[in-house]
Amino acid sequence: MTWQRYFIAFVITAAIFGTAFYIASRIDSARIADIRSTEENISIDILSSETQFELLGNLDCQTLSQNSGLSDELNSIASQLSVAESNLGSDNPEVLQLKEQYSLFEIKDYLLLQSISQKCGIKPVYILYFYSNEGNCPDCSRAGDVLTYLRETYPGLRVYSFDYNLDLSALKTLESLRKVQVNAQNQLPAFVINNRAPAYGFKDLAGMQTLIPELKTLATSTATSTRQ
Amino acid sequence: MDIWALGIYASLFLSLYFEVFLFISFFERRPYKKTLLKPHRYPTVSMLVPCFNEERTLAQTVDSLLALDYPQEKLEVVIVDDGSTDRTRAIGEELARKNPRITFIHKENGGKYTALNLGIERSTAELVGCLDADSFVAPDALIEVVKSLEADPAIMAVTPAMKVYRPRTILEAMQAVEYTFGIFYKKMFDNLAALNVLPGPFSIYRRDVFKKIGLFRHAHNTEDMEIAFRMHANGLKIVNAHTAFVYTTVPKTVRGLIKQRTRWSQGFLQNSRDYKYMYFNPRYGNFGMLVLPLGLSAFVGGIYTAGYTLYRSASFAWMRVSDLWATGIPPHLPVAANFTWYYINTSMMVFLIVAVFCMTIASIALGHRIAQTELRARSFVYYFALFGFIAPVWLARAAVGAMLSRDASWR
Repeated sequence: MTWQRYFIAFVITAAIFGTAFYIASRIDSARIADIRSTEENISIDILSSETQFELLGNLDCQTLSQNSGLSDELNSIASQLSVAESNLGSDNPEVLQLKEQYSLFEIKDYLLLQSISQKCGIKPVYILYFYSNEGNCPDCSRAGDVLTYLRETYPGLRVYSFDYNLDLSALKTLESLRKVQVNAQNQLPAFVINNRAPAYGFKDLAGMQTLIPELKTLATSTATSTRQ
Repeated sequence: MDIWALGIYASLFLSLYFEVFLFISFFERRPYKKTLLKPHRYPTVSMLVPCFNEERTLAQTVDSLLALDYPQEKLEVVIVDDGSTDRTRAIGEELARKNPRITFIHKENGGKYTALNLGIERSTAELVGCLDADSFVAPDALIEVVKSLEADPAIMAVTPAMKVYRPRTILEAMQAVEYTFGIFYKKMFDNLAALNVLPGPFSIYRRDVFKKIGLFRHAHNTEDMEIAFRMHANGLKIVNAHTAFVYTTVPKTVRGLIKQRTRWSQGFLQNSRDYKYMYFNPRYGNFGMLVLPLGLSAFVGGIYTAGYTLYRSASFAWMRVSDLWATGIPPHLPVAANFTWYYINTSMMVFLIVAVFCMTIASIALGHRIAQTELRARSFVYYFALFGFIAPVWLARAAVGAMLSRDASWR
């Protein structure tokens, strides 16, 4: 019996473990880079929309309303961030930074949508959805499922989801403006629908449909997956 | 991180360590190729055929022994009927009447080890072999074994390369892959001087083995395993003749397979308990330091992994169902249109599982190269799709049986 063989086998096994860890880490980094790249694209798109809005004003509402939607890209980022969060942890600094940036894009898109709807007289249906993944919102995952399903069913529905606990001044301002305050009576998840007073607590599909009567004005489509 | 996943990582580490160890052993000493060389001397051989209700296969088993490429006057066949209740006795008596090289002994049912011991006592040859009555040997198998024994006088027993006889059904094809894997790792155990079992199909002993350490024991219905443990305990050398092929029939039903494997697995646990002093004892070489501890860890790891997977799957299913119920969302399938590489699970565990999978495939391929087993692509599918579901059942049954000190039954 030679101890050398035991040692070599241990070293090789440890090397395989190390390689597996390295490959997994590299792929996670590639994921982060992918999100960052998409966010850069969104940044350009938002800037373009804002510039277009300033250039056209209310002169060409059709063009403005057609080009103002970043919904698909934002939804795509949302689900990618969700995967990154579960792989790297919600407290990972890179994930947090991307999430903050994502939240800012959402706020910008929301503001742009407000301006366009005011100037052009369109009536979008949108939800500001506030959640938490710090363990104090057991129903947030289910609320996310309901919103995903609604968005799949009604492609015209805009859902802006925000991590309530994110330390971002713009988000805190939005929460304050929309009077979203979580306390013993008002528990997350919270929903602000078309700038009405916030509704708190989990609502099932039927409950959400009752809460948003405007859904009847939206066209339905075959469901597609854009999980939060 | 899921704390319970650490157990899976530990199991994966030990699995990889085991496979890496075997590969190191393979590259240190590759299995030799079969040659046409003949032995210098042909020792006398008594082939014992213990049987209990083997009317279907006994004649074919004996025929394969008589067809061995070995001097007729040097080989005798001893059929020991362990109180069969079917036509085994009549068939055995008829075979003995027709051929003077066959001796037939009938006895009251007492268990396989008693049949083997009676056969050993009634025979006189230098070498004593055993062939279960559900197995058949290749014509040159005995010569290959004798050549192995001739290579080193210190070798006291030889095991063959076991293949599945005509794997046709899904279950047989699955076991054919498993046996091919076994051919590889048994040869590597041989390299490490750590063979842990002398299987019923065609293990050959020098008669001195029984003089030195005694006859077979009941050993929780795994006398072939216990004698290997006892030989290691007494410093007797066992080797594997990978060029000696034996074909064995395997269970054809899941129930039969589980019963057989429960007996083997429980036998391992109970014999391990009886020989616990050999664990992590450098005095017993790689057998005590590697094969026994890793065998036990594979047992524990198998049960743990199955339990963990079952728990996670059940939790996930329950969560999805309760989510659907709570949300009121109608059941629907996710649409593949939005699926990109981004959503593929690329965790460290996935890569480790892939590594274990690749090494297992490589081991099976080497086993196939060593013994030219009959494998088809679909056999691999059956093996990887089914084995993981069935094996935990016999592992769990064996663990319970060992805890209750209740011997597993033969049939």
